[in-house]
Amino acid sequence: MDNIILQYFINAIFAGLPAIGFGMVFNVPKHTLIYCGFGGAIGYTSRALLMDMNVPLELATFLASTIVGIVALYWSRKYIIPRPVYTIASIIPLLPGTFAFTAIINLISMNAHGVTPELITIFIDNSLKTIIILGGIGFGLALPSLYYIRYNRPII
Amino acid sequence: MNEEKLSYEEQTKITRAIIKAAVLMLEFGAESKLIELTAQRLGTALGVDSVEMSLIPSAIVLTTLNNQQTQSVTTTRRAHHKPINMAIVCEVQKMCYEVEKQKLDVDYVFKTIKEIKPDYYNRWLVVFMVGLSCASFAYLYGADWQAFVITFIASSVAMFTRQELARRKFVLIITFIITAFVATFIAAFSQIFNLSSTPNIALSASVILLAPGFPFVNSVLDAVKGYLAMGWGRWMQAVLLTVATSIGIILALAVLSLKGW
Repeated sequence: MDNIILQYFINAIFAGLPAIGFGMVFNVPKHTLIYCGFGGAIGYTSRALLMDMNVPLELATFLASTIVGIVALYWSRKYIIPRPVYTIASIIPLLPGTFAFTAIINLISMNAHGVTPELITIFIDNSLKTIIILGGIGFGLALPSLYYIRYNRPII
Repeated sequence: MNEEKLSYEEQTKITRAIIKAAVLMLEFGAESKLIELTAQRLGTALGVDSVEMSLIPSAIVLTTLNNQQTQSVTTTRRAHHKPINMAIVCEVQKMCYEVEKQKLDVDYVFKTIKEIKPDYYNRWLVVFMVGLSCASFAYLYGADWQAFVITFIASSVAMFTRQELARRKFVLIITFIITAFVATFIAAFSQIFNLSSTPNIALSASVILLAPGFPFVNSVLDAVKGYLAMGWGRWMQAVLLTVATSIGIILALAVLSLKGW
């Protein structure tokens, strides 16, 4: 049991590091950097927890980014910093980067070496995963702020 | 409603100040909702009745209305996309906040926008941290320690290349192709010399630094909040960058005559 918790903890640190690194690439203000790291750790750990409870990858990503969105909503109110500064660095560990590159590389090699059923399978698998995970991340991050938008004008 | 009347020249000056702030936010990668809200709040604070804007990926059209909606000024600006820089977006946001709070005038806006100079991180620190980030991804995907080290070296060198190309003001697509080439070329050593038992992880993790997360996420955020044209535009931008990265990877694999991931 202790081992599992330790493993989660180590993974959280290794998920927080990329969030900080990419925060630097996006040149976020210095005092927000630590929150980006926390956000990355929260996002990755909650997805890992959900996936251990047999939630599929796409749904787990969606729920994890919703959690990140809610936490970032709180931080952005507290420090008056636009939300994407926190959220986008935080969801970097969840991004389907490998799926996306594999899909495009397969597309190009289908053109070069001819189309085979295996290549089509790999391509469709990876591009579906990429699009659904990206959509899940986007929707998850947007949900907390969509909650505050109302159609408050009378229609008639 | 504003009681005092603004002259046409004054209103034009205010409109120019607002669109300058909006273009700055669009160029450095802010979300559409944020751009529109900031422009509208800045307009109210500077004393026009309302601000209406139309956003497309490459330009902004902005109209201010005043004097009981009878006097309108419209202007258009082209936006040239630059590498993402959140510090500038935050500065513009902070300026809007201060104008609102302290009832500052339009000259203050021009002065602040002119003086915005984000403090960058030390470049070697960024190189080190990005190397460590990609190595962490390799760890999370289950690489052994040799692959971890190779990923660290490959993506550090790639990040250095990216910074050098960015400093020479190259287009993003060229930057991404060359950077992906460098990263894959170095990471492929793990496979050629049998340094690691998990060479595929090193190969795929070393190019993660080029995953265009910002445009992709911004595109979905824009689309669900009702900015459909912006959503498509950013999606296309992100797909172009992904294709550019893949071209770089394939070039490197072809040069080394490797089979692939």
